[in-house]
Amino acid sequence: MAIRLSRTFILRKLHQLTGIMPLGIFLLEHFYTNSKALTGPADFNNAVRDLQSIPYILFVEIGGIFIPLIYHAVYGLVITVEARPNNLYYPYARNWFYTIQRVTGIILFFFITFHVLNFRFGLIPGLNTMSVAHHVDQSFDIVAREFKMVPIFIVYVIGITATVWHLANGIWLFLVDWGITIGERAQRLTGYACIAFGLFLLAVGINAAIAFIHPGGLLGKFM
Amino acid sequence: MNTVEIHIKRRPSPDAPQHWEVFEIPYRPNLNVISCLMEIRKNPVTKSGQQTTPPSWDMNCLEQVCGICTMVINGRVRQSCSALVDNLDKPIKLEPMTKFPNIRDLIVDRSQMFDHLKRVHAWIELDGTHDLGPGPRMDQEDVMERYAYSRCMTCGCCLEACPQYDEDHYIGPQAIAQVRLFNMHPSGAMDREERLQGIMGDDGITNCGNAQNCVKVCPMNIPLTKAIYEENRETVLYGLLGWLKK
Ligand code: HEM
Ligand code: SF4
Ligand code: SF4
Ligand code: FES
Repeated sequence: MAIRLSRTFILRKLHQLTGIMPLGIFLLEHFYTNSKALTGPADFNNAVRDLQSIPYILFVEIGGIFIPLIYHAVYGLVITVEARPNNLYYPYARNWFYTIQRVTGIILFFFITFHVLNFRFGLIPGLNTMSVAHHVDQSFDIVAREFKMVPIFIVYVIGITATVWHLANGIWLFLVDWGITIGERAQRLTGYACIAFGLFLLAVGINAAIAFIHPGGLLGKFM
Repeated sequence: MNTVEIHIKRRPSPDAPQHWEVFEIPYRPNLNVISCLMEIRKNPVTKSGQQTTPPSWDMNCLEQVCGICTMVINGRVRQSCSALVDNLDKPIKLEPMTKFPNIRDLIVDRSQMFDHLKRVHAWIELDGTHDLGPGPRMDQEDVMERYAYSRCMTCGCCLEACPQYDEDHYIGPQAIAQVRLFNMHPSGAMDREERLQGIMGDDGITNCGNAQNCVKVCPMNIPLTKAIYEENRETVLYGLLGWLKK
């Protein structure tokens, strides 16, 4: 029998895959680079410079981040519109996770748009006007200047938290959607692993943000 | 006298709008929702004294094995024959299921589910004019797992509670579990590809959003999410990696 693939099957599988790879992998790399701020502005600026010197950087950025991100985001919104949440009458944990995955998706849509315009392009009126990527000797200072404004910092804390939730739960979703995790016990155990991983990512992500306004991050004095 | 108040969402005919009617019946111990409806049917007068038509609903086995009496009781889908009045919040609110065409009062048309079963070839080809010999032997563990899936009574609870199931956009957990049931059978496996194609369409298995309400509400305790994830694996291997074999 010839294998026939429907449009939805391909689009959904691509959506699930782009969430993990490249987007999930990129988030880990992003938090790693941000964490360079823990050891000081010079280290962070060097890390940004290294990234800018990746060969074929334009293709890597467009093909590896922008296109998958736009695809995942737009199709994610299509999926969200189709949802008929019913959490009040069926208040189970997984059903809440289902709704939160969609709510964090919407938050991410606005947050990432803001974040990219704010730092990658410096195009938000009234805020930073310089591209972090194109001013590598001032990268740290540009970010620090924004983060010293309390409302902006709060926006970033919300954005980081939503992203971490979306990825941690997204890893669990990917494992079941691709038939890697199957049984009930395995579902539970991978659930715990994703919670642990999410808490770890949250700590790393928030601490890196704090490092821009408080030298060395939360544990600054001890490190 | 002790009474039970019952609110019923009614629809006189398929295209008429829905409206609520309130009834009150004398309390007896061990009432279930069906016996309440029978009591109302004897004398269809609303609480405020208005004469009305007897409410219609579906019922058959009265012991939660046929699934036909399924309705939404106090916001949650379940079988009305096994819904005991003593365990329910009052007043009791009865509504027809919302994910299937509502024919009249509490009756819905569940033929979507039957169409899905036909699409996924939810049977085993056994007919022949000659002797087919004894059936193939099966692993005891597989037998037990298949038994769990075989208990589905096509009641529709899983589809009603599924946040992804609406207007027939999604084939749903009930049909996917039947794919698992018949693909696990050595003779059924001969039609495996047809079943996989059946759940890989635009309304297929990838529409599941993993809210897992289906497995929570299934009155037969069918491990629906396990079936979905087994079929996720089968469709990924078949659909995405199958070309590597050709
Ligand atoms: C920008 C806006 C975004 C929107 C609107 C969005 C929306 C969604 C939605 C609705 C789902 C659930 C899909 C389903 O249950 O079938 C989902 C899954 C997922 N998302 Fe996103 N997302 C966004 C950004 C991201 C980002 C930045 C990442 C990576 C850090 C990500 C990673 C994932 C992963 C791993 C999944 C699980 C895939 C699966 O279901 O197997 N998403 N997304
Ligand atoms: S796990 Fe899938 S099929 Fe079950 S209720 Fe959730 S979305 Fe529906
Ligand atoms: S799987 Fe369970 S809830 Fe769904 S139709 Fe079958 S018996 Fe009903
Ligand atoms: S009448 Fe058969 S399940 Fe209720």
